[in-house]
Amino acid sequence: MHTAAVDAEHEYVYEDDFDGNSFDDTSAEKYTDMAAGKKRNSIMSQESEFEIDDQLYSDDDGTDAYNDYTLVEPLSTVSARELNQGTVPNLKYECLTAQSIFEKMVERVNHLKLIFNICTEDLLSLMQHFDWNEERLLESWTDKMDDLLVEIGLKNASETVSGTQIDASNGTETARTLNFRNNFSCMICCEEKTTNTFSLECGHEYCIDCYRHYVNDKLNSGNIISCIGCSLALKNDDIDKITGSPSSKKLMMSSIKSFVQKHNKNYRWCPFTDCNYIIHLKDTSSLDEYARLHYSPFVKCSDSHRFCFSCAFEIHAPADCNVTALWVNKSRKESANLNWVLSNTKECPKCSVNIEKDGGCNHMVCSGCKYEFCWICERDWTPHGKSFYQCTLYKSDDDKKNAKTSLEVAAKTLKKYTFYYKMFNAQEESAKLDWTLGQAVGAKVRLLQEKMGVSWIEGQFLAESVRTLYEGRTALKWSFAVAYYSDASHNLTKIFVDNQSLLSAAVEDLSELLEIKEPAKIMDRKTDFYNKAGYVENRTSALIECGRDLLCKGICKPV
Amino acid sequence: MSRAKRIMKEMQAVKDDPEAHITLEFVNESDIHHLKGTFQGPPETPYDRGQFVVDIEVPMEYPFKPPKMKFDTKVYHPNVSSVTGAICLDILKNAWSPVITLKSALISLQALLQSPEPNDPQDAEVAQHYLKDRESFNKTAALWTKLYASSGVAANGSVEESELYGIDADIVQEFESQGFAKDKIIEVLRRLGIKKLDPNDNNSVNRVLEELLK
Repeated sequence: MHTAAVDAEHEYVYEDDFDGNSFDDTSAEKYTDMAAGKKRNSIMSQESEFEIDDQLYSDDDGTDAYNDYTLVEPLSTVSARELNQGTVPNLKYECLTAQSIFEKMVERVNHLKLIFNICTEDLLSLMQHFDWNEERLLESWTDKMDDLLVEIGLKNASETVSGTQIDASNGTETARTLNFRNNFSCMICCEEKTTNTFSLECGHEYCIDCYRHYVNDKLNSGNIISCIGCSLALKNDDIDKITGSPSSKKLMMSSIKSFVQKHNKNYRWCPFTDCNYIIHLKDTSSLDEYARLHYSPFVKCSDSHRFCFSCAFEIHAPADCNVTALWVNKSRKESANLNWVLSNTKECPKCSVNIEKDGGCNHMVCSGCKYEFCWICERDWTPHGKSFYQCTLYKSDDDKKNAKTSLEVAAKTLKKYTFYYKMFNAQEESAKLDWTLGQAVGAKVRLLQEKMGVSWIEGQFLAESVRTLYEGRTALKWSFAVAYYSDASHNLTKIFVDNQSLLSAAVEDLSELLEIKEPAKIMDRKTDFYNKAGYVENRTSALIECGRDLLCKGICKPV
Repeated sequence: MSRAKRIMKEMQAVKDDPEAHITLEFVNESDIHHLKGTFQGPPETPYDRGQFVVDIEVPMEYPFKPPKMKFDTKVYHPNVSSVTGAICLDILKNAWSPVITLKSALISLQALLQSPEPNDPQDAEVAQHYLKDRESFNKTAALWTKLYASSGVAANGSVEESELYGIDADIVQEFESQGFAKDKIIEVLRRLGIKKLDPNDNNSVNRVLEELLK
């Protein structure tokens, strides 16, 4: 956890640079000077931060200081960090499951039960019908109680008419139970057979096979299931009886699903595959205001999946929802199949052997000719290594000067887009591989425990590093979307691009560190892990903040 | 297997009730999933005396899933596509229930011809016509019935295209005299939903001209 002091200092460095640039709006050379100066500054601040970081870590034994910061901690200590992540500060939300939503619903229904003289289940159906709006239900209830019950199918229409009462009671003897019948002719399947049948009080009787088929078809709709022949509703008990399994649970789940989808302003499913958590945001009133400042409401479910509540996409800082949507749309349209070809294999620039990237780091060593090169630009690695990483800058010096005809402009735009898309894609692929790396880290930690006698908590720095790496990569990835839509000639864009290279270098460094396999070596370089991860974290924040600045100042104009 | 039995039984039920003037036949005896149904246009509507053929595709999950129906006969109706014959009717979609039969579905189509739902249209152009000028709509629908849905009198082939879409022949002629192609005029008028035009209504005339010159 960073103290406010560090963040303030960092911001100062950034602001300083920015101010310097904007006052000095004349020569391009100066910008590069400033940028270089900035690099030096960053290195300085990087080192000072490390000390503080180390102290902090040893202070609280590296416990999970980040856990639930969004929920638990008061604004004063959190906001600085949160703002740096491009998320709406002090976002109040809860993480629910379908079951807990259902329990809440039952709770509400139990309150209402005193007013309505009907059973919980019927009341649930009523509430469902009225979209969980108690006032509307109460209003209609006082007006036309009987009509309502018939409409929803809780009551047979004929029951309200006196005189048919006898018929109805006649039916109820066999209603809502399975009846065994000889030579029953079912009008749905038109078979005559000896079978179980089912019917409600309405007397519409069908064979159990047809009924089961019918009910199973309707389970996913989330609506109340009625009798095949009329609108009388089946209750959960009936559904279980018909299907012979607790299928009504499935119906309940699907009705909650449709509830969540209907109330998508406040509720959202975690978009991660197979994750069943639901985020409930109680107060959405401030979101618009924050969206104007290009903050996005990033949330985290109980499974630690982080995503944007507004657009249900992964964390996309420094891009905002708008840039994200445009970018995703564009990449879907323009490069549906470019995608795989670009991202999966490359030829070694020296010996032309086909190489598939299977680790997160962009520093490639050809297994055949041992040539070291950069995965992104396919050039020699040496200039990348110690000096700053050069692969993020799209050279657009004379972009506009030379583009004379619209055709040329179009070709240039496509070229520019392809460049940024490639970068974006490369980071995405790397992030995916990092994710796999993350899965392997658990095993590594265990290895540390066994071989080195390291305590579990002490080994957590590895998991922390992987997480930081992943976050860094994600920010870097989305920064290319921001860069694509930004005015390349503006100072701030140049600073942004510098920030990209710095983070890029930091990320590659950390990624390389995580490739180490021997436990002893890992423990030897523990401080390295701390240092590099801390640096990545700071660079990520800086990049996100700078990206938001681009958006706020209108230099990044998504069109 | 129950599907085959049910389809056979439904066909028998149609045969047993000649009063309804509904027929149901397999297109091909070896394929029980593809049928053609016919019914008569409801009296006192522009569809009176028409014989309407419906293409029916029975899905594997029948009767738990609705059959796919579309008009083979061209019909001028807000809820039927004038091009493909696709039908917009709730019981053929989410309101389907296994107790509905092919026969009752055909009867529902008959009822749909009787009382269109222009607010939930399949064919927007036709629906607009229906809402704006009922009399002209009825004329066009009756013409279509006569042309496409009458078995006895085969189409003369001499029907003006403008009449087919209920467009006033005079305005087509007016624009033709200005040197525009007939096809184009009719296409534009259909697109703009204009069936009649007052030559003094400069706004509308200009709008048509603008489109014609595009």
